[in-house]
Amino acid sequence: MEERGEFVIPAHPQEVWDALQKPDVLKECIDGCEEMTLTEEGMFACVVAIKVGPVKARFTGTVKIEDPNPPHSYFLDVSARGGAAGFGSGRAEVTLTEVAEGTRLNYEVQGTIGGKLAQIGTRLIQSFSRKMTRTFFDRFSRRWVG
Amino acid sequence: MYSFNFRRASNIEDAQQIHQSSSDAVYVAGGMTLIPSLKLRLANPDDVVDLSQIEGLSAISSNDGVVSVGAMARHCEVAATSDIPALASLASRIGDAQVRNRGTIGGSLANNDPSADYPAAVLGLGATIHTNARAIAGDDFFVDLFETALEDGEIITRVDFPIPKRAAYAKFANQASKYAVVGVMVAETDAGVRVGVTGAAACAFRLTSFEEALSANMSASALDGIDVDSSDFNSDLHASAAYRGSLVTVMAKQAVEQLAA
Repeated sequence: MEERGEFVIPAHPQEVWDALQKPDVLKECIDGCEEMTLTEEGMFACVVAIKVGPVKARFTGTVKIEDPNPPHSYFLDVSARGGAAGFGSGRAEVTLTEVAEGTRLNYEVQGTIGGKLAQIGTRLIQSFSRKMTRTFFDRFSRRWVG
Repeated sequence: MYSFNFRRASNIEDAQQIHQSSSDAVYVAGGMTLIPSLKLRLANPDDVVDLSQIEGLSAISSNDGVVSVGAMARHCEVAATSDIPALASLASRIGDAQVRNRGTIGGSLANNDPSADYPAAVLGLGATIHTNARAIAGDDFFVDLFETALEDGEIITRVDFPIPKRAAYAKFANQASKYAVVGVMVAETDAGVRVGVTGAAACAFRLTSFEEALSANMSASALDGIDVDSSDFNSDLHASAAYRGSLVTVMAKQAVEQLAA
């Protein structure tokens, strides 16, 4: 699976950078996120309950920030397990660029998923990941607009 | 399958009460999506609330230019109706015979699968979805992937379809599942031309650029040269986003040609 996109956030790159490192901000913005804790510098553990139509699964995972270049770019290494539903892992490159409206965030994700969800849900994975991303940046941007 | 409590509701209030008092309940109508998910252990609800024994939810009637379809009406029952041939034809092409004998219109709409057929009919024909609490315009019902305007615990009771002057549904079906890779309902209604598209994006939508072109000239050639923005379309092993974009035009043209026939 490959996915790329960009969002414009109405805040300065440094503010965006700082917010993206905070577990409570991430928890608030990720749909279904039940736990997000900083286990060590640049390393998070999380629990996310995913709901896609009739499917409900709870994933536990780790997120690791690599090659940080504040406030310009970093890589995210993500891996998650969802019991009977399956598992997933991926790597995302995130870059922040200052623009007139604030910050343009570009992301590029490469990931794989396996298990039952992957077998029966192939036609839904991309739409679902887009929806999650959209929700994340909607909530994230709302931090800076009334 | 994980274990769960099977609760049979005798009326709508009963169903809602069971739903409210449970920490994690789901309604089952025909069960064509829910049961396979349960069998694969992809859902683990405490209570499954069966709506099939509630009286008066499956009637189909036609009055004053409106076809009223009860939420628990099976696809095969809608396929056997005659007042809106395009709707009957759509229902006759859902899934396979087993699915059409069990699956219900209310279940399909509440689930809002991006490839389901009925959403194209609701948008294309300008239907109104009635629930135990209110009436929701079809245009406001489909929100996002598997997401609708229904509140938690709200139950669809019937769907009212205004009878169009003429309408046709064309779909490019997945050969195994018969799900719509892309399906398009084109209708000439009292409120103007409507085009409902399913299968292409996260949920069904109306294509206003096609509606405008067809209002001016109801012919397939009127759609030539209209760009369909496929940047947000679904892309999977069955079809890329660009291919789905192309199919939207092809299916819309087929539907327009059926109207003229």
